[in-house]
Amino acid sequence: MSVDITVTIGGAAGQGIQTVGDLLAQVCQKAGLYVMAINDFESRIRGGHSFVQIRISDHEIFSPRYEIALLVALDRQTVLLHQNKIPDGGIILSGESFDDAQKPITAVEFDKLAEEAGGKITANTVAAGSCLALLGAPFEFLKDILAARFGAKDSSVLEKNIKAAELGYQAVAETEFKWAFAWEKGPEKGLLMNGTKAIALGALAADCRFASFYPMSPATGVIRNLTEMTEHIPFVVEQAEDEIAAVNMIIGASFAGVRSMTATSGGGFCLMTEGLGLAGIAEIPIVIVNAQRPGPATGLPTRTAQGDLLFVINASQDEFPRFVFAPRSVSEAFTDTIRAFELSEKYQVPAIILTDQFLNDSVFLTTEQFTAPSSVPRFIAADADLDDPENYHRFAVTESGVSPRALPCRGKAIVKSSGNEHLEDGHISEDKDNRTRMVNKRNAKLEAMTGEMNGPEEYFEDAEILLIGWGSSAGAIKEAVDLLRDKDIDAGCLTFSDMWPFPAEKALAAADNAKKCVTVELNSTAQFKRLLRQQTGIHCAGSILKYDGRPLFPQDIIEEIDRFL
Amino acid sequence: MLTKEDFFCDFENKWCPGCGNFQILDAMKEAFAEMDLSPEKLLIVSGIGQAGKTPHFFKCNFFHGLHGRALPVATGAKIANHDLTVVVSSGDGDCYGEGGNHFISAIRRNIDITLLVHNNKVYGLTKGQASPTSDIGFQTKMQPHGVIAESFHPLTAALAFGAGFVARGFSGNKAHLNQLIQKAIAHKGFSMVDIMQPCVSFNSVNTHAWYKKRAYDLADKNHDTTDIDAATALSRKWGDEIPIGILYQKESSSYTDRIDHLDQGPLIGFTYEKERVQQQIDNG
Ligand SMILES: Cc1ncc(C[n+]2csc(CCOP(=O)(O)OP(=O)(O)O)c2C)c(N)n1
Ligand code: SF4
Repeated sequence: MSVDITVTIGGAAGQGIQTVGDLLAQVCQKAGLYVMAINDFESRIRGGHSFVQIRISDHEIFSPRYEIALLVALDRQTVLLHQNKIPDGGIILSGESFDDAQKPITAVEFDKLAEEAGGKITANTVAAGSCLALLGAPFEFLKDILAARFGAKDSSVLEKNIKAAELGYQAVAETEFKWAFAWEKGPEKGLLMNGTKAIALGALAADCRFASFYPMSPATGVIRNLTEMTEHIPFVVEQAEDEIAAVNMIIGASFAGVRSMTATSGGGFCLMTEGLGLAGIAEIPIVIVNAQRPGPATGLPTRTAQGDLLFVINASQDEFPRFVFAPRSVSEAFTDTIRAFELSEKYQVPAIILTDQFLNDSVFLTTEQFTAPSSVPRFIAADADLDDPENYHRFAVTESGVSPRALPCRGKAIVKSSGNEHLEDGHISEDKDNRTRMVNKRNAKLEAMTGEMNGPEEYFEDAEILLIGWGSSAGAIKEAVDLLRDKDIDAGCLTFSDMWPFPAEKALAAADNAKKCVTVELNSTAQFKRLLRQQTGIHCAGSILKYDGRPLFPQDIIEEIDRFL
Repeated sequence: MLTKEDFFCDFENKWCPGCGNFQILDAMKEAFAEMDLSPEKLLIVSGIGQAGKTPHFFKCNFFHGLHGRALPVATGAKIANHDLTVVVSSGDGDCYGEGGNHFISAIRRNIDITLLVHNNKVYGLTKGQASPTSDIGFQTKMQPHGVIAESFHPLTAALAFGAGFVARGFSGNKAHLNQLIQKAIAHKGFSMVDIMQPCVSFNSVNTHAWYKKRAYDLADKNHDTTDIDAATALSRKWGDEIPIGILYQKESSSYTDRIDHLDQGPLIGFTYEKERVQQQIDNG
């Protein structure tokens, strides 16, 4: 039997639906299942409507599905908004029944049972208990997770939660659920990971030691994770007065020799653009995470989008080389972060990690190993590495464009750096020949940088219809290909993570046999389609675009594919 | 023993002849030499403007960044390596206008760097527009009927934000300025010296002679530099008599003193430990 069901838990902000989602995900992990959960919430702390949608499967999954087998409604709004996605046989689990519900409601008095267990605060645990009972999960599984979660606190907290879970289980003991299945214990298939955590781990694995930031959804989680992880590790996190300060601080820290990063979203990235250019001309390695949300301006703070691609590739005035990575998965968020630090330092250019709310905030059970590298290569020149440290020139022209990088106050070499156009020694110069030489020097890096870029991942790349996408929507695109192929539609896909410098040759090779190309993107003007055309000449028949602030579902593609058949 | 010649740099100076910046440059070199701060051990960070060019006329490590952003760059460098002696050269427009927010925050952090503001009460490099410190009524090509906003009082503001070392210097009194710079660098925590600097090209009101007539040394007046109320009152004095010297000084732990782990040494000294990172990953 194959397991693939979606459970949605909805309620008002502040009702703790996240806890229910976490408990379910952890139990599934223990049982050796795969999960992926999206967090859909409003920009408010209390009230409104938010939900966690968790998909449970016995095979690895990378995208959410529309159909909901089990809806846990902590309020009426949840029933009204989601019941149309429930197929026959689905169940609504709710604390009360509603006249306007169009699907059968299984009433479990979460609050009342919670009070019976010892406190209203355990209502989420009651709900988790009922959910798992319907799904057929043994009670012991939840009990183990509760013990791990609350065991460290005083024992009464754990006891209350176990009691609450038990009451939740018993409440639905008699209810039949069409998609209940036989659960087994383990083995665990991997880690539960979201994008923010993966990036933070990547930063530690790259020996980053300093992060400066100004809070902005959906980027703040990266810094929160770093803060939590570095309680016992020498690492400085500084909340800057604004994003301009944040980027300039990491430039200063990196200039002085410490690997540094910042994380922001579109609006904050706008403020960082002059600093980005400074890192470009002063050849300072920095890593900036830009977690996309819909814009412009404040846009939709807690939603997702892929609207900043052309912006980050072109951000800041004039021209300079930079790296842009758009991880397709949480495991790639980890490895791309390590690469961003390494390549940024190797080529002395800024690197941007382009994620989004979907990747940052969604939880995925990933089978990839997250391995800290055995060593971290540093691309720094000490006096001993220099021919003549006393005559050190920070911007010495070399064939590769990369000059030996000494650090200030670490030896005899004196490091002079300027954001004005400068001579090889770092002093300002307005000389026209020097200007041309320096632009050429910086641009000279592009060839080797391009060589570092990976081409797209290919999946049925010779198909009649080739879907082309990038970044976090890769999972939904790939799954759409499977679903289309099940319907005898000859579809395949290419998905990119290395966005700039654009791996044009590799893209051309991958699209070699393409018949009809269609980009799939979360923006309204097909930015990647344009980039692809510009860099490779590849012509796409059109694009499937979504820009409602919600993540890409495989169904979004399937519903639109007819246009291209 | 170092001398100011040890900081000599043959890079062509681009200031106007007679500019107050030359004396500031000299005073800085003399101060560094007397403190035995060799060029290899010194980092000057600057923003954009005439003042921002200062490090180019030095032999020492420098980072010449963006307009208004010298303080965050300096803060980052100090966080990365708190063994560095970091001095910031900034202009009044650079520091109090474009970079005003950073000025407030650098003070609040008490980051152990020294800020020297070359305050010519005008935008020099962009040819003479009003700056935040221009006096009300000051006429420029852009403000032909005179500045209509109240002028910004940097020392009053610094005291209000809690700065631990607040001083005013005058480019026309080089020996005094040299001493102030030395004391500012020796001060543990954030220190600032706002330096009255005539701009011979764009400020015909606040000239060298104008300042010379008005400046008086606080050291001669028995001023108690621990008295914040007295310092605040002095910081507002402007007109016929202008006090120079240390208005206020009080040491407290600096930003990097307050951060865990940094008592073991500067951040740059820590090296990658695979086991620790892997442990973090495995902890989930
Ligand atoms: C973002 C930005 N805005 C504006 C400028 C133009 N600009 C250069 S210097 C300057 C003002 C300089 O005045 P001040 O800081 O008082 O220094 P001074 O030249 O008088 O020493 C301005 C506005 C710039 N370089 N960057
Ligand atoms: S414009 Fe004024 S501040 Fe600038 S160099 Fe000339 S005199 Fe000095």
